[in-house]
Amino acid sequence: MLNLFWIPLLTLIGVFVSLSANRVSRTACAYATAALPAAALAIVISYAPSVLDGEHFVEQFEWIPAVGLELAFRLDGFALLFALLILGIGLLVILYARYYLSEQDNMPRFYAMLILFMTAMLGIVLSENLIQLWLFWELTSISSFLLISFWNHKSEARKGARMALTITGMGGLALFAGILLIGQVVGSFNLTDVLAQGDLIRGSELYPYILVLVLLGAFTKSAQFPFHFWLPHAMAAPTPVSAYLHSATMVKAGIFLMARLYPALAGTDMWFLIVTLTGLATLLVGAYMALFKHDLKGLLAYSTISHLGLITLLLGLNSKLAAVAATFHIINHATFKASLFMAAGIIDHETGSRDMRKLNGLWRYMPHTAMLAMVAALAMAGVPLLNGFLSKEMFFAETLQQGSLGALSWILPVLATVAGIFSVAYSLRFIHDVFFNGEPINLPKTPHEPPRYMKIPVEILVALCFVVGIAPGLVVAEILHSAATSLLQGETPYYSLAIWHGFNFPLLMSFIALLGGIVVYATRKQLFEFQAQFPERDAKAIFDQNIKRIVDAATRIYGTLENGSLQRYTMLFILSVALFTTVPMTKLINLEGARPLLPVDGISIVATIILVVSTLVTLIWHRKRMIALIAVSVVGLIVSLIFARFSAPDLALTQLSVEVVTVILLMLALFFLPQVTAKAASPSSVVRDLGLATLIGGVMATISYAMMTHPQTSIADFFIANSKTGGGGTNVVNVILVDFRGFDTFGEITVLGIAGLGIYKLIARMKLFMPSADLNGIPWSNDHHPMMLATVSRALLPLALLVSAYIFLRGHNLPGGGFIAGLVTAVALILQYIANGVDFMRERSKLNYQWLISVGLIIAGATGMGSWLFGYPFLSSWFDYFYLPGIGKFELASAMLFDLGVYLTVIGSTLLILGNLGALTTHARPEESK
Amino acid sequence: MLEISLKIVLVMISIALIMNTYSLVRGPSLPERILSLDTLYINSIGLILIYGIVQASSINFEAALLIAMLGFVSTAALCKYLLRGDIIE
Amino acid sequence: MNFAIELILSLLLLLGGSLILIGSLGLIRLPDVYTRLHAPTKATTLGMGAILIASMLFTLFDQGSLSVQQLLITLFLFISAPLTGHLLAKTAMHQRLKQIDKTKNAELIEVARDREAPNHSSD
Repeated sequence: MLNLFWIPLLTLIGVFVSLSANRVSRTACAYATAALPAAALAIVISYAPSVLDGEHFVEQFEWIPAVGLELAFRLDGFALLFALLILGIGLLVILYARYYLSEQDNMPRFYAMLILFMTAMLGIVLSENLIQLWLFWELTSISSFLLISFWNHKSEARKGARMALTITGMGGLALFAGILLIGQVVGSFNLTDVLAQGDLIRGSELYPYILVLVLLGAFTKSAQFPFHFWLPHAMAAPTPVSAYLHSATMVKAGIFLMARLYPALAGTDMWFLIVTLTGLATLLVGAYMALFKHDLKGLLAYSTISHLGLITLLLGLNSKLAAVAATFHIINHATFKASLFMAAGIIDHETGSRDMRKLNGLWRYMPHTAMLAMVAALAMAGVPLLNGFLSKEMFFAETLQQGSLGALSWILPVLATVAGIFSVAYSLRFIHDVFFNGEPINLPKTPHEPPRYMKIPVEILVALCFVVGIAPGLVVAEILHSAATSLLQGETPYYSLAIWHGFNFPLLMSFIALLGGIVVYATRKQLFEFQAQFPERDAKAIFDQNIKRIVDAATRIYGTLENGSLQRYTMLFILSVALFTTVPMTKLINLEGARPLLPVDGISIVATIILVVSTLVTLIWHRKRMIALIAVSVVGLIVSLIFARFSAPDLALTQLSVEVVTVILLMLALFFLPQVTAKAASPSSVVRDLGLATLIGGVMATISYAMMTHPQTSIADFFIANSKTGGGGTNVVNVILVDFRGFDTFGEITVLGIAGLGIYKLIARMKLFMPSADLNGIPWSNDHHPMMLATVSRALLPLALLVSAYIFLRGHNLPGGGFIAGLVTAVALILQYIANGVDFMRERSKLNYQWLISVGLIIAGATGMGSWLFGYPFLSSWFDYFYLPGIGKFELASAMLFDLGVYLTVIGSTLLILGNLGALTTHARPEESK
Repeated sequence: MLEISLKIVLVMISIALIMNTYSLVRGPSLPERILSLDTLYINSIGLILIYGIVQASSINFEAALLIAMLGFVSTAALCKYLLRGDIIE
Repeated sequence: MNFAIELILSLLLLLGGSLILIGSLGLIRLPDVYTRLHAPTKATTLGMGAILIASMLFTLFDQGSLSVQQLLITLFLFISAPLTGHLLAKTAMHQRLKQIDKTKNAELIEVARDREAPNHSSD
């Protein structure tokens, strides 16, 4: 079954075909590469008859419907034209590159990148969905980056590629923003809807933003002034790449976008002003600069810029006829520019130079190539009987037609003629300087004709220039009509493709341009001297400077925000929290809500007093670590008592176990830290911190008070109602953890496992010096493992394991669960480490904690995936009640298995961290003095 | 009668908790502070048990169990730190 | 719940409460660290015993079952309390904390730091 999806898909597969063709001969590699694009071309052509009859095809399937993203392709006249150009010229470039690339170049890699780029371009022109179009748009930026930097040993290739990527990538982001805004206005990202809603978009107050953002994308891609400078630097690419990217594809993507969205965005004064003026500036700057380039490809690069400006200008005129002319010029420019680049590549290839000051009189050495290049250059100049003449004629006619500039409307045709003059002049220079004008000077190679097959692509393209130029009605009329119709989304106006329209203004303008061009070229010496007065502005240097400035500014901002001071981060964090919470707080009128306060009882007062006192102790004696640590333990204890008092037994259990693990971890870490804590910097910073702390404390207290006194409708009721029926457990907290929010828990234990492994890897090779005495100079005790502690701890282990098993098993219905049980087990094992030492444990316990983490995660993950077997989504839980004689009725739930995974991961991570943190000095310890 | 004695015991334990906090702040030596912390742990077990009787519920007894177990580990670790510095060696 | 049980419970509770109070009071009132060690480890543990018995009896008569938690708590407390005392005394002696004159075996404090562990091997 043939459908549109196959077109980009075939070329995409072609990428891998090219990559895998590295063992075969170069010719075979080229043929293998060409095969799939050729097949894609065949598909496009198979659609052509119906498309030319006015049909258009849209095929789509849902991809991410929630965000309006679907894979959708569209083939109408305009897309057909571009697809033909992309695939047709692409195939010619493949053939050409076979002979252009040298033995040293990695041909499969080149072809793979070229085909990838081709896929991206096809994706752009065939996309029905705008977001999908943008994805392909970015893909062209990336693949063109790879292509331009193909000779990555050359600095200029890397720099040129980077510049192209930066500019087009920036534009791509703007385009994305524009597309999102279009989607917001229209309510759909599909072209069919967007193009039909042109009035809605133009009427929207977002229209100026949409227009500017979309045009930014188009202008950067199509190298419009002032973003044109990346294009000449992209000439560092191999010439086949230039021939492909800068004739029919990459730079035309911007034009394509403007034309594609023409029905949606064009027709306003704003469109006219921005697009026309940008196009005009680009046209003039490109044409003028092209004349002064000594590099053959540099001349072509600026001429490309100029012609892109011409097309942009046409699109900006808000006239249907101008849009037709633009479409026509897209075709013509693609053909003559591709052939010119290829000819330039042949000259470069056979002479070893692209410098027009050295290249002279090549007519004698390569007449065939010279013939082809001259015809193409004349087409570029707009000489009659060649295709360039026709579209240029239409262009001149259109500049005469518009009147939006009022009394100044004459400016446009005059400037267009000026650009025409320069265009003729640089075309003449290309012909005269290279093929005549004396003898070659100091060329690295003796020039001669290229291999036969290298000329074939050029011949085909030049023949097209001729045929279109002589018999436009026969060759392009149909496709032009179909393309223009789908561009305009409506009837095309009457236009004539005849070569002769009688004596009229456009003809006069052409005539002036030709004569003027000859005059300008004849006086080029004077012009070059004039131009030499101006200091050469190196776009690369300016670009690098600006990039450096941006990076510097970013570094400065980054440096102020992130200067490595924890106090600074905490301060910024607290300040922003305070800011974001106080502003909404001011809108809350009644601080005290409708819920009555609970009565105060004696025990609560006592607990509060202890909490406050121990917090104060921590604060005041924070430099005396042990006291602070003991006081913190009290805080933890009181908090868990509060949890227990207000019926949150699960929280109390968790808080208790986490508390102990934390205290042990702190002691392990404190041992290696400097023994004396630094004093706070200055009294003023103490005051500042105190103020901040008071502020955030006050804000949080107010919020808590407001939250707790206002009656809330929470989701707790849902959990309480569904915990038994839906999750099979009466302990709501545990059912939430392993069932309702099981996926969260799975993510969290994964993070815990990763954290454990990360810490382990960080400290694995650390050898830390162990202080020989404590802070007060008291030497360490000789008794490594006090016998009483060692003996009793061993006896406590089975008891503790029993407790943890008990907590684990009852977790689903009563307070407990895998996490708490895991911590309890871990603490019980850590007690053994403390009491008996690492070596003791290593001899007896063969537990590999990394392995334990993996097993835990696998069990949890497998439990989750198990539900797939029964056709349910990931982590759907299952439970049922069974009856066994002797034991009675009992429940089995898949959640328990999941909890087992949690249990094992927690043990593994905790012990991996604590056990290894403690073992840091064990082997590297210096000999102790007696 | 039971209610009255429960109230008395609650008051007694509250006073004990306050006194523990006082001796924790006063010190003066670290072993004395650790001892105060340990006593605080044990007294809170008592508090939870009494509350269990008052509310006729055993829902928080696991918390008491964990305090008994983990409080000891915490005390042992603190002593080990003072004796050897390196608590896991 | 009949009067006799309430009476027993009340007596146990009051005994326990008093002992806990005495333990904490001793922690403050006794003169040096070695004497202070006695109060919580002995009086408080005993008081906790009384309260645990009361709690177990209450559960037994109130819910008709003997719960295992109190048993485990008792076990933990009675195993760990002496050990806590031992470790803290060892730490205090290691730090050569001052003792009052009446405290016996003061000479042991001087040598505590240099004593080898009983299971110490010569390596």
